Amino acid sequence: METSAILLCLLVAAPGLAFLTLSLSWLLGAELPEHWVTRLTRLTFAVSGGAFTALVVILAMQGEFRVSAHLGDWFRVHHYTFPLVLLSDSLSLPMLGLTILLTSLIAAFSKTYLHREAGFLRFYLQLHLYFFGALLVLAAGSFDLLIGGWELVGISSVLLIAFFENRTGPVRNAIRVFATYRTCDIGLLVGVFLMHRWADTATYSDLFSAGELHGTEAIIVALALLFAASGKSAQLPFSGWLPRAMEGPTPSSAIFYGAISVHLGAYLLLRAEPILLASPVSATCVVLVGGLTAMYGTLSSRTCSDAKTNLALAALSQLGLIFVEIGLGLTTLALFHMIGHAIVRTLHFLRAPSMLHDFHQLHSAAGGPLPVTGEHYDQWLPLRLRLWLYRFAMDRGHLDHLIDRCFADPLQRLSSWLAGPVAAPAPRTPQRALNNVAEGLD
Amino acid sequence: MHHDPREHVAHLVGHLAHYLPAQGPIGVFIHHNTLHAFENLPFEEGVVAAARLYGTEPFMSEAAYRRDLDRGRIQARDLDTVLAEEPNEPIIAGLDRRTLRRAMLLPGVREFDTGTVAWRLAEGDLATSVRPLAARALFDLCVKRSSDASEERRPAASARPLDNIVHPLLIRLCANYLDQGMAYWPMPNRALGFLGAVRELMSQPVFFAPHGLRGVAEAFRRQNGQDATAVLLSLLQELQVEDTEEFLRDELLALPGWAGLFHRLEEEPELAPYQHVRASLLDYLAVRVTLLAVATNDGDEGELPAVGAQRANPEGARLARAALLFDALSSLNFTADRLRSLSATDFARLEREVQACDGMERRRLFHLAYERRHETEILSPIAQHRGEAVTLPPTDEARPTAQVFFCIDEREESIRRHLEEVAPTVRTFGAAGFFGVAMHFTGIDDAHGAALCPVVVKPGHAIAEQPHAADEHLLGVRKARRRIWSQISHALYVSSRSLVRGWVSTALLGLFSLAPLITRVLAPRTAGRLRERLHEAFFPEPRTALAFASQEKVAGDPHHELDLGFTTQEKIDRVSGLLRGAGLVRNFSRIIVVLGHGSTSLNNPHESAHDCGACGGRRGGPNGRIFAAMANRPGVRAGLKAMGIEVPEDTWFVGGYHDTCSDLVELYDLDALPATHQGDLATIRGQLDRARALDAHERSRRFEAFEESRDANLALLHVEERAEHLAQPRPEYGHCTNAVCYVGRRDSLRGLFLDRRAFLVSYDATVDPDDTFLKRQLGAVILVCSGISLEYYFSFVDNEGYGCGTKLPHNITGLVGVMNGHASDLRTGLPWQMVEIHEPVRILFVIETTPVRLEATILSNPYNANLAKHRWIRLATLDPETGAVHVRRDHGYEPFVPEASGTPVVATSMDWYHGKRKHLPIAKIAAGAGKH
Repeated sequence: METSAILLCLLVAAPGLAFLTLSLSWLLGAELPEHWVTRLTRLTFAVSGGAFTALVVILAMQGEFRVSAHLGDWFRVHHYTFPLVLLSDSLSLPMLGLTILLTSLIAAFSKTYLHREAGFLRFYLQLHLYFFGALLVLAAGSFDLLIGGWELVGISSVLLIAFFENRTGPVRNAIRVFATYRTCDIGLLVGVFLMHRWADTATYSDLFSAGELHGTEAIIVALALLFAASGKSAQLPFSGWLPRAMEGPTPSSAIFYGAISVHLGAYLLLRAEPILLASPVSATCVVLVGGLTAMYGTLSSRTCSDAKTNLALAALSQLGLIFVEIGLGLTTLALFHMIGHAIVRTLHFLRAPSMLHDFHQLHSAAGGPLPVTGEHYDQWLPLRLRLWLYRFAMDRGHLDHLIDRCFADPLQRLSSWLAGPVAAPAPRTPQRALNNVAEGLD
Repeated sequence: MHHDPREHVAHLVGHLAHYLPAQGPIGVFIHHNTLHAFENLPFEEGVVAAARLYGTEPFMSEAAYRRDLDRGRIQARDLDTVLAEEPNEPIIAGLDRRTLRRAMLLPGVREFDTGTVAWRLAEGDLATSVRPLAARALFDLCVKRSSDASEERRPAASARPLDNIVHPLLIRLCANYLDQGMAYWPMPNRALGFLGAVRELMSQPVFFAPHGLRGVAEAFRRQNGQDATAVLLSLLQELQVEDTEEFLRDELLALPGWAGLFHRLEEEPELAPYQHVRASLLDYLAVRVTLLAVATNDGDEGELPAVGAQRANPEGARLARAALLFDALSSLNFTADRLRSLSATDFARLEREVQACDGMERRRLFHLAYERRHETEILSPIAQHRGEAVTLPPTDEARPTAQVFFCIDEREESIRRHLEEVAPTVRTFGAAGFFGVAMHFTGIDDAHGAALCPVVVKPGHAIAEQPHAADEHLLGVRKARRRIWSQISHALYVSSRSLVRGWVSTALLGLFSLAPLITRVLAPRTAGRLRERLHEAFFPEPRTALAFASQEKVAGDPHHELDLGFTTQEKIDRVSGLLRGAGLVRNFSRIIVVLGHGSTSLNNPHESAHDCGACGGRRGGPNGRIFAAMANRPGVRAGLKAMGIEVPEDTWFVGGYHDTCSDLVELYDLDALPATHQGDLATIRGQLDRARALDAHERSRRFEAFEESRDANLALLHVEERAEHLAQPRPEYGHCTNAVCYVGRRDSLRGLFLDRRAFLVSYDATVDPDDTFLKRQLGAVILVCSGISLEYYFSFVDNEGYGCGTKLPHNITGLVGVMNGHASDLRTGLPWQMVEIHEPVRILFVIETTPVRLEATILSNPYNANLAKHRWIRLATLDPETGAVHVRRDHGYEPFVPEASGTPVVATSMDWYHGKRKHLPIAKIAAGAGKH
């Protein structure tokens, strides 16, 4: 194998190994002190970051930013094979670099932020799992492998939302996010299934080079992928989960919902660009979803008076724009936008707890009240409409209610009908203990 | 009982509002007794009553006290002392209550609950205990003879499923209504009040009504513009409420944080930091109950079934009672035969006594013992030390090289001690950090003035900082540039969150955020220094003076009805008041420094809680500065002389500021210092610099992130970084170690290591024959210190119930408070990171006076008298003549008998604390004893 391929494998594998080391030692009952966790984390990021830098240097000397690593097949059933293939090109390289940089900053930040917190180890465990997942999504050479990373990012995201597991709020919201993720994952699974069915492959190189998918087939696959991407990137109609994800510790909110995880949906679309742009129908759908989400995000964030949700919804409006850019075929712009946006939002999230301090400074420097906001385009709207819009935006477009009423409730009714009448659990009486006593008395 | 139902409801709500948290918008954090509403009950009863009402914990857990027992923090003799003060009576032949309780505490009984006792008996620890035949026989007999009794069950917090439907919407409405400028669109119609604004908004037609709230628009429309009371009255009828008081109380306490903020802002609208909003608790209730009624009519039971509601379990209850009896009797070596021989009445009495010493009662006793040990550990060394240094005041005292005033704050104890160690010829004093100067202050960089004085005082004077005539143009430049900076920053803030402008600032300019992101995370101190440099370069700083501080009063300010400046007589009153209160009336040094204090940190919504409480939760630098400016006035000096306080002409006062987070010490108006005093200044400046480094070092012993080293300068760098670190949830530990308040002469305690745990108030009873100054001191000191002590107590013993939990998920809302995540109650009280190393004890006041004088003084102030009577504070006296120590108990003042063990003696403070993280006992510091 070439050096560059080895480096690519190394940079993806490092956090996976770190996760395994931490989780194994935890399962074996070792209580790792904070500084050991920190040291291991530092080592992981040094390896990943070092491998990435070396890779970029080698590729730059070669003059071609493309490397792939074939690690053979995982398994083979009839004529289906699951190829373990990593690929890095001009699309995934910048994203890999961004992910490594921002995640390492978050890891450094969290060392201080979570110091002495009971869940310190658990946090880092999940951070490594997410990191591995994200690198896998970005470096996968086939959609089969991408699913693996996609799921790891999803589960670590859910677990970090429920980080404060002794409170009902975080757990309840995490379950809702989990349900949304799982629903949207159907899109990815179906998409990949159809790729295999119609093109006999889900490896990027084979899939795109031969132009295997055409016409309706391409549209259906593209829409399935759009469905999946919308879930991850909180596009309409799934946007309701994003504010709920603000229950976790601030650094995890930053890395997931400001920086990397929410952009993975957009990355998926960029990856599938040849399929997506094969027909105007799917491209239009992407533009439509993105455009509506952008409007939805900006409207909702306008009425949002808490620091983190405000940021999450503001991020949503930019994510919508990124989708629009992708749908219009402005790939390079979309990539730039993603990177710039991830950096800005990370800093915003990390500064969110300082907002009182910052506002105080702004006010005193202004020497009086700050300029009035909400009088920009808004002032041209009639008052009645503004009031209605406020109500609409404050309720986040009634999206959650819509999902509850049209989807969750019927599903719940269906499942309880399928399950039949549930017998009430018998109250657990201390019968056995009393029997013991009775025996003793005899 | 009011006949008019409208009045009745208003009265009830007004009364019930006392149970709500008294915390205002978080930008100005005032420490107060969390259970202020229960102060009319004795402490131990009050905390239990509150626990029942709120579903909280009144003491630490029994397991925590047992751990303290194991590590010697509570000792067996403390338990004996405590039990000896409790009423005793015989129970059965050969057993009295005291013996029984002693056995139930030590060796002790286990805690049993109805849910797990059966399992523990079947296969847990109880199964092991009853394996021996004798034990088995005793246990079986306990079960057989135990009576059935109804168990008391606390209300399950989440037994209100409709809250799950009502709260998300209600919280968003509250947050948006009270928002101080975070949302881009302010809530429309706020001038109509909460009910009016919500009604206008919720009456809008929508595509999908909120889940479980179908018909909410109609419900608000139907109200036809009625006021809150009328709405409440009709809803009470509609919901067929039987007990109005109970109903309203439950509704208020369902989201106490938000309800409490409405109440606070209704009482004091000026607490709102930037935008005044019309807040009314009745409005809040009307909205809340309207939503509740809609949810009730909708009939949807909420997302999840009620959790936490336990099923009745009479068998488990009976078993738990038997198990407790078994444990109690085993610890008394009771045999089954002896139990069998008890008559029915004897057994009933025994059982009653055992059950009366339940978990709550045991925790109460443990807590008293816990505090008793603390009292002994504090008072013994003080009594001993005072016994050795009886020649007070020292005769033919040499003139000190400098005198330094600090705030009474317990965080200043260490820097004072270090200063005394570094410079034995310096004397230090403690006075409430506003230094007697209550004022409405406006600095050159402030948009509005703020009251710098205790919250209970309303300032009558306004002071503004003004540039020197020569520097006026500089101020103009500064203001203009700062305004531009503010406009740019605000524009960037807004645009990065909007759609189109956001596209520009993320897609095109996003990469530029990389540099600040990396430096602020990886090199926070450097980033902070860099920002400071840029600040200095772009915003020229004019030399300033406090206008009217050194001139005569000019005219009243028509807006605030404040006097501008102070008249000479007012200045004399303030300066003499402080000096005499602190007992500094003679032997003045050539230079006297007056240091206010505050704290600066990032990523800390609770920043203000670390500022000076005596300055209303703000930074007290200007108070030190103005005090010094006043005291330097020749007219004031003449007035002082007339009062018999002769300040030599060569004495010069210098004001300053101490930052308790970064340990910065800044001195003001040094350009006015006479040339003759430059040498004195250089000396004290050097000594203060050394002392602040040592202070940083002593503080750093608590921080695990500081790698141990004896180099104090490294510690200074470390605390400076903490102040600038975006990720730092505990920039400083604040009042976390507060436990004691000493009011008396510094000389009586100088040279003792008090571990930053004691407020130090300078007071000299020998120059205060009629207790005028004692009254004045205690009037302020007890209120402030007990408020801090009790807030820390409750936030520690139940951090989720009384405090605001861990800071990590905190989310700033509307610039008025923090929520957990995206939709929770407003969290009040202190976060875990602020209290984690606290020892929950009621504050112990040690006052250098006689019991007779103290009692008269305490009784003369109704608030203090009530606190003392109901034991929310602990009081002791240190006789100014004899050094004898007395402790105030219910029956009167009791002479304190010191424990025999000697106080350790070490050369310097660092020798005592270095390498240790936990609280330390008092030690004698040889270097700190001072030279007289």
